Amino acid sequence: MKELTVRIYRYNPGSDDRPHYQHYQVRANDGARVLHVLQAIHDETDSSLSFRYCCGSGQCGSCAVRVNGQAVLACMEEARDGMTVEPLELPVIKDLVVDMEPYLEAIASLVPSGEFRMPSHEEVEIMKPLRSCIECLACVSVCPALKVTTFAGPTVMREDMRLALDPRDHEDRVTASVADGLFACTSCQACWKICPKEIQIPGKAIEKLRALANRKGLTLPRHQEVAKLIRESGRSVTRIEPTFLEQVPDVIEPDGGVKATVGFFTGCMYNNRLPRAALDAMEVLKRNGIRVIIPKEQVCCGSPLIRTGQTDFLDTLKSRNINSYTFRNIDLVMTMCAGCGSTLKHDYTTPFRVMDVNEVLTHFGIEPPAPLAIKATYHDPCHLLRGQGIRDLPRELITKVVDLVEMPAVCCGSGGGVKSGIPAEADALGELRRAEIEKTGAEVVITSCPFCEYHISAHTDRPVKNICTIILEGYAEKDRREKPPA
Amino acid sequence: MLLCDPAHNKMHSDEEQDTHVLVIGSGGAGVRAAIEASGYGETLLVSKTLAGKGGCTTMAEGGYNAVLREQDSCEIHFEDTMNGGAWLNDPALVRILVDESPKRMDDLLRWGAVFDVTDCCEVAQRPFGGQRFPRTCYAGDRTGHEMISTLIDRLHSTDVRVENEITIISLLKDEDGVSGAAGLDRQGDLRIIHADSTVLATGGGTKIFDISTNSSSGTGDGYALGFYAGAELIDMEQIQFHPTGAVYPYDARGRLVTEAVRGEGGLLRNVLNERFMERYDPQRMELSTRDVVARAIATEIVEGRGTVNGGVFLDVTHLPRSQIETRLPVMLEQFLKFGVDIRDEPMEVAPTAHHIMGGLRITEWGETTVPGLFACGEVAGGVHGANRLGGNALADTQVFGRRAGEAAGKAPTRGRKTDHRGIEGLHEKLEAYGLGDVDPTTVIRSLQTAMWEGAGIFRNARDLERTLAIIDHLSTLKMKAPARENLAACCIAENMLATARLVVRGALLRKESRGAHVRRDISQAWDGRTSPYGHTYQSLQREGIEVRS
Repeated sequence: MKELTVRIYRYNPGSDDRPHYQHYQVRANDGARVLHVLQAIHDETDSSLSFRYCCGSGQCGSCAVRVNGQAVLACMEEARDGMTVEPLELPVIKDLVVDMEPYLEAIASLVPSGEFRMPSHEEVEIMKPLRSCIECLACVSVCPALKVTTFAGPTVMREDMRLALDPRDHEDRVTASVADGLFACTSCQACWKICPKEIQIPGKAIEKLRALANRKGLTLPRHQEVAKLIRESGRSVTRIEPTFLEQVPDVIEPDGGVKATVGFFTGCMYNNRLPRAALDAMEVLKRNGIRVIIPKEQVCCGSPLIRTGQTDFLDTLKSRNINSYTFRNIDLVMTMCAGCGSTLKHDYTTPFRVMDVNEVLTHFGIEPPAPLAIKATYHDPCHLLRGQGIRDLPRELITKVVDLVEMPAVCCGSGGGVKSGIPAEADALGELRRAEIEKTGAEVVITSCPFCEYHISAHTDRPVKNICTIILEGYAEKDRREKPPA
Repeated sequence: MLLCDPAHNKMHSDEEQDTHVLVIGSGGAGVRAAIEASGYGETLLVSKTLAGKGGCTTMAEGGYNAVLREQDSCEIHFEDTMNGGAWLNDPALVRILVDESPKRMDDLLRWGAVFDVTDCCEVAQRPFGGQRFPRTCYAGDRTGHEMISTLIDRLHSTDVRVENEITIISLLKDEDGVSGAAGLDRQGDLRIIHADSTVLATGGGTKIFDISTNSSSGTGDGYALGFYAGAELIDMEQIQFHPTGAVYPYDARGRLVTEAVRGEGGLLRNVLNERFMERYDPQRMELSTRDVVARAIATEIVEGRGTVNGGVFLDVTHLPRSQIETRLPVMLEQFLKFGVDIRDEPMEVAPTAHHIMGGLRITEWGETTVPGLFACGEVAGGVHGANRLGGNALADTQVFGRRAGEAAGKAPTRGRKTDHRGIEGLHEKLEAYGLGDVDPTTVIRSLQTAMWEGAGIFRNARDLERTLAIIDHLSTLKMKAPARENLAACCIAENMLATARLVVRGALLRKESRGAHVRRDISQAWDGRTSPYGHTYQSLQREGIEVRS
């Protein structure tokens, strides 16, 4: 037995003006789950505490709650001392009980077609992962798109895709999914990272539905324009100034000894829109013994095509990119754009290793920059945090230079083709970021993805800087301090 | 809101509604019954939980028995089921089960169920205990979840109205029989439902035991509701203890470890590393019937060959990792959450109360002994006899769910006759909870311990009498509901007491060992087939045991 102190959200809309938190002390058995603690509180201390549960074994999806801000199944999550338990971010009926019914009812039903054909083994194997959903609505509660636009939500998309795959279903699920908000998903990956069954809704449902929509000619016009641009120029965005590749040599030798050699995958945004940040990164690498090879024939990684379901040109891009590094015998490729990095890591089969710049810098180590008296916050790029599982490394680097104030890791709205396809949604999500940034009181916003940098810049009055830029500023300050006054 | 609010307890404030068919319960049987009934008239499905999330169907892991192959036959399935049930099963019901199970599987497939299939597009089947043919169809180890997803999906395509989170606390009656039901909603307000026919599909009730696989809804409400409405119940002593329940963590003890683990080749070993099933059933070993395996494990533990956590080992580490990952994903995930990687280390398991084979006596069409009241699924008795075969319960839900739904739907309409006396009685009962002084949780915990100790896997008259005395004492306590929303918990505790009493009375009435029911104080010269006894029966009017002619 152990004693725990827990903090629980309480709210009865019928009698309370506003929600409040209540502390409870409770004795729990070794290995007790959050559910068992809630039961102990209800049975021994406070029978007015409401929560929902049923199977107690992670199979019915009744008991999802937020523990320390993370949506989890109460019956499977181990209870910890000091935890805060709150309802999912859905309309609250009472305490931890939320109104699930409207979301459950929105999930489509199979309409049997006249002729019955049993799905094949292959079809079943593709459908099965989409069927393991227990409809706990954790995904719905964390979806940023749902908060700002008309979107039926991740689990509706999941079932739409399963029905689209099922030969027994009669309806046009692809067109229906477009009406359900198929193009509203920002590919932030929050849904599947929170899913207790780890269903890859963005990759296995949404992108697949978008590909099917593409075959039906339902791709958004703005997305088609992007695809056309890639086909014509090899880049997903137009240039506005001399590109990064035009400004750098084929090889950048480091200042001192060579600690490592990397091939640099620039990405469209750093090449055509934000070359300054990439040039800053080159300076940081140069100072830290990293030799950088920059193949000039590299093109778009294809991420904008994959995210928007326009995959017919993809293989050409992939082989051009892979060849440009293998040709130079490069066995380690560095990405700086979170989206490119995630794509190279997950959508490519590469003969070389891929590391994000944050991994490269922390793996090989950097000369400490001078600390700056700046209060900064960090925006986690979705494709870095959830796409590549990189959370701590950028913080390790940032805190060498500035004081870090955290804010919740939520999508800024620039991914998944939403910025080009549904700009109003991207702006609404950007405005939510503005509010969070203001709450931190930070003077500077740091991030590590060109899409986030570009988009957030339009939604805050604070400067938005790349992580390499801030390190470089730390070096400049160091050099200034060390240089004798003129 | 306080309970003693006279204005609120006036009868006219109760919300009333009418329907042709009322289905109580949203597991596999209830949803199947509602789908079928909706073809005949207005149907209302009422669920204590969110529909589809409660009950045991969604938790059922292993599979669904159906004869689908040339080499198999309904006759063999019939014999396996009768043998497994120690010939206490009602043969006519078993015949229907085996004949119609494949058709109901067809329905599920037509409605979109995603079962595992073979390379030849046939539903895949695996071996389960006590069966001579691998006839258990499955969707990984989440078969019940796949079924309930499909059924809820189908339900949404019908006109059935669904009311979630209403706890039915009493059946209503008129001179012709059952005329509907009364329930409490989430706030604790009384809801009256008038119905031409009422289907009990409330599932099981092994939550009356300290260690159980059941979900929170397995509180035996249907047995109690049916009993107090005058229906007769049979074989209530027949409780299936599933051989393999988890032992850690303590609060999740009893959690089901599916028979599919053994079906896929899992081995049972004691702490001496012996495959002890050799001593109990050398032929069938791990795939013996559940009653035999459960007693074997219990014996190993009692005799000191168990683990420190009070279990035995169930081991799949010799199986290919990919087989574990694809065929037992839920088991893999659950154990990982509790710190055990079943690909590398054995599970620890011990018996857990799982299924009540007994229940309301039904005809082939799910009619109970009270007009207007139907029953299907676990709350009904007779299909599984003295021991249920793994995979037969999911089939039962579909076969008898459909039959009860059809029969209830075809029942004649009758005018609404409000059961004023019944409703008034309910108000009095609810009001009394406002004045009680014992927390229902205290009552339930005492009951669960007493049942596990005195009416568990091994029984004798002295322990059973003692358990009955405890139940009687607990029944005299005045339970309290500090607020209206706590009223349902008191009613559920009463139902658990009533169910437990039926189980213990049945166990005393059956003076033999039969299937899952073992009386260590009685020696006998017969087996299931040659037993002189038939069903035990209990109702408000009579109780006893049938003697075979």
